[in-house]
Amino acid sequence: MSDSSASSSKSAPLLSVNEVSGLFESAKKYEELNVIGTGAYGTVYKARDLLKGGQIVAMKKVKVALTEDGIPLSTLREIALLQQLGAYKHPNIVRLLDVCHGGNSLEREQQLVLFLVFEHVEQDLDSYLKRAPGPLADHRIRSMSFDILSGVDFLHSHRIVHRDLKPHNLLVASDGRVKLADFGLAKTYDKDMRLTSVVVTLWYRPPEVLLGVSYNTGVDVWSAGCVLAQLHTRTPLLPGASDSDQLHCIFRLIGRPPRAEWPENVSIVIDSFPEYPPQDFADVFPRIHPHALDLIQRMLVFDPAKRLTALDCLEHPYFTDEPLT
Amino acid sequence: MPYWYYDKKDLLTTPSSRDGITTEAENRYRKEGARFIIDTGSKMDLGYNTVATGVVYFHRFYMFHSFKTFPRYITACCCLFLAGKVEETPKKCKDIIKVAKSLLTEQKFASFGDDPKEEVMTLERILLQTIKFDLQVEHPYGYLLKYAKCLKGDKAKLQKMVQMAWTFVNDSLCTTLCLQWEPEVIAVALMFLAGKLSKFEVVDWNGRVPKHTAWWDMFVEDVTMELLEDICHQVLDLYSPQTQPPGAESPPGGAARALPKNDKRPSVTPPASVSPVAVNTNKPTVTPVKNGADIKLEPPKMDPMRFTYPAYPGLAPYPPVYSAPPPNIPPPPRLPIPTGPPPPLVYSEPPPSRFPP
Ligand SMILES: Nc1ncnc2c1ncn2[C@@H]1O[C@H](COP(=O)(O)OP(=O)(O)OP(=O)(O)O)[C@@H](O)[C@H]1O
Ligand SMILES: [Mg+2]
Repeated sequence: MSDSSASSSKSAPLLSVNEVSGLFESAKKYEELNVIGTGAYGTVYKARDLLKGGQIVAMKKVKVALTEDGIPLSTLREIALLQQLGAYKHPNIVRLLDVCHGGNSLEREQQLVLFLVFEHVEQDLDSYLKRAPGPLADHRIRSMSFDILSGVDFLHSHRIVHRDLKPHNLLVASDGRVKLADFGLAKTYDKDMRLTSVVVTLWYRPPEVLLGVSYNTGVDVWSAGCVLAQLHTRTPLLPGASDSDQLHCIFRLIGRPPRAEWPENVSIVIDSFPEYPPQDFADVFPRIHPHALDLIQRMLVFDPAKRLTALDCLEHPYFTDEPLT
Repeated sequence: MPYWYYDKKDLLTTPSSRDGITTEAENRYRKEGARFIIDTGSKMDLGYNTVATGVVYFHRFYMFHSFKTFPRYITACCCLFLAGKVEETPKKCKDIIKVAKSLLTEQKFASFGDDPKEEVMTLERILLQTIKFDLQVEHPYGYLLKYAKCLKGDKAKLQKMVQMAWTFVNDSLCTTLCLQWEPEVIAVALMFLAGKLSKFEVVDWNGRVPKHTAWWDMFVEDVTMELLEDICHQVLDLYSPQTQPPGAESPPGGAARALPKNDKRPSVTPPASVSPVAVNTNKPTVTPVKNGADIKLEPPKMDPMRFTYPAYPGLAPYPPVYSAPPPNIPPPPRLPIPTGPPPPLVYSEPPPSRFPP
């Protein structure tokens, strides 16, 4: 056919565009099975990929507020980055398999439903620890610690700060490998879209976040330190009940920081806390290997600049003294 | 992750061709759409990266949709709009539409409908779904500069060669090469072409090892001469009189040039699949190179988005924009440029010289 017919279809483009868009609710490629988790910003479903022989996947549904100029730049950047990271196939990062959106049924509400399709991983670290019949074997703790820090180091080497590391966001595969999930979408998670019913846990938050000062990659090292401690004890290390209680918990463990280290421009004054002395970590964690103790202690340092980096952690004697098996 | 490379035969059985559009017409639509993205982008001071990303989206989009369903100019606008956001050089949708309107005839702009902005917004979601949210696109430009840094030889000549290759890369956006080969391979091929045309023979390079027979062996494995020539031909064909002038109602009488076989793909690519869905993409074997070269190569200071060969010494400059090379250009070895009357100039207005930064 000549292109005269091609140009004739130009007369009704609006119609054609809208008609065809209906076909592109490719979220329909997936059959939802059940809800696996509800977080503050979305629901995660277990689903079947109908185009790939029924492979089981985890689908995260995220609502994105549309702007006057369509899908926000920040969301596009974050998705592009997730895709880019995915190309590295890092063993400790949950694999992003597909991204799709739920068509334009919600068009008038000025929001778009995004589906992020991830590899399905057996369980999260929270349920893994709850289900453990007794203390984890030392070699398990060590390899899980190494996995977590490798994932964190990978993100940091790509200038990504996770900001919300916690057992719920760490997935444990059937072979015991730990993978980081739920990162890279900080800007997409619009505050207005937050489900207020979901309580955001504070237990893994570092002091700089609780105090509201600027933060960086150090947040993840702090959070990872809390998680590493929890691998040994199977209970949260710093279960604060509120923002201020969380700070009390922290200072009761590591001691109130010296005045010189208290950040400027913070509304909370240092004197609102008693002069807690630092505890001896050996008393807090009886029976754990001194190397493990030393590593955790160096991760839970008040001043983010004095904390180990994720790479430092990986080179700590806890991991290097004996080869990991 | 989606896989975006196609065999030549896949490129002949596109949604458009199933919709009754001839391959010649489709290629012309692709060329016009790409050209329009380049023109609009240049006019809006967008960088070459953003423009190239937009063009790649455009080509990928029409591997899933027919030009009959989605008119090319509005799709082109949408691709540029999305690329602007992804490359962090955002432009307001209404501004892109304004520029588009200024570049298009009234009849062509009619395809934007009554509410062009709404149309582009709707299309954005279709586009995202079609390209599977695979937003980050790599282009040959960076590889070009990286490879050039390793080559030894006369600096001025090298610079000239890179400039010419840069222009070929711009021009290659109007072909379907980005649907066939990784940017690394395109960069090698077009540098090879520029080397031939500018008579810059690369005899030595940093990181050379005995088993290398050509400089590109360092970067891409198993690139055959047939492949290089095929890629070069596809770019040179843009200047050839076989190119149907836009607006022609029927495909050219003669059959298209016999298509070189594409079955010997270099090992940088996994076998192409018809549907670009979730094939394991082995990252191309791009050997990192310690480069001790002291040459500082920046994107050439010229107007590389122009559709002309860069002028080189001793040869008359090519006529501007979208025309056949003048017949007095000596054909590069084994790369005969078809002769014949040049097609009419279509884009008479050269884009403003903005590229690269
Ligand atoms: N790939 C996956 N495989 C299996 N389960 C998953 C996967 N991703 C997430 N989950 C489960 O879903 C829960 C919520 O996921 P996710 O953390 O991504 O959502 P969220 O909205 O950010 O939640 P939160 O705010 O609590 O971090 C996780 O705690 C985990 O149990
Ligand atoms: Mg989470």
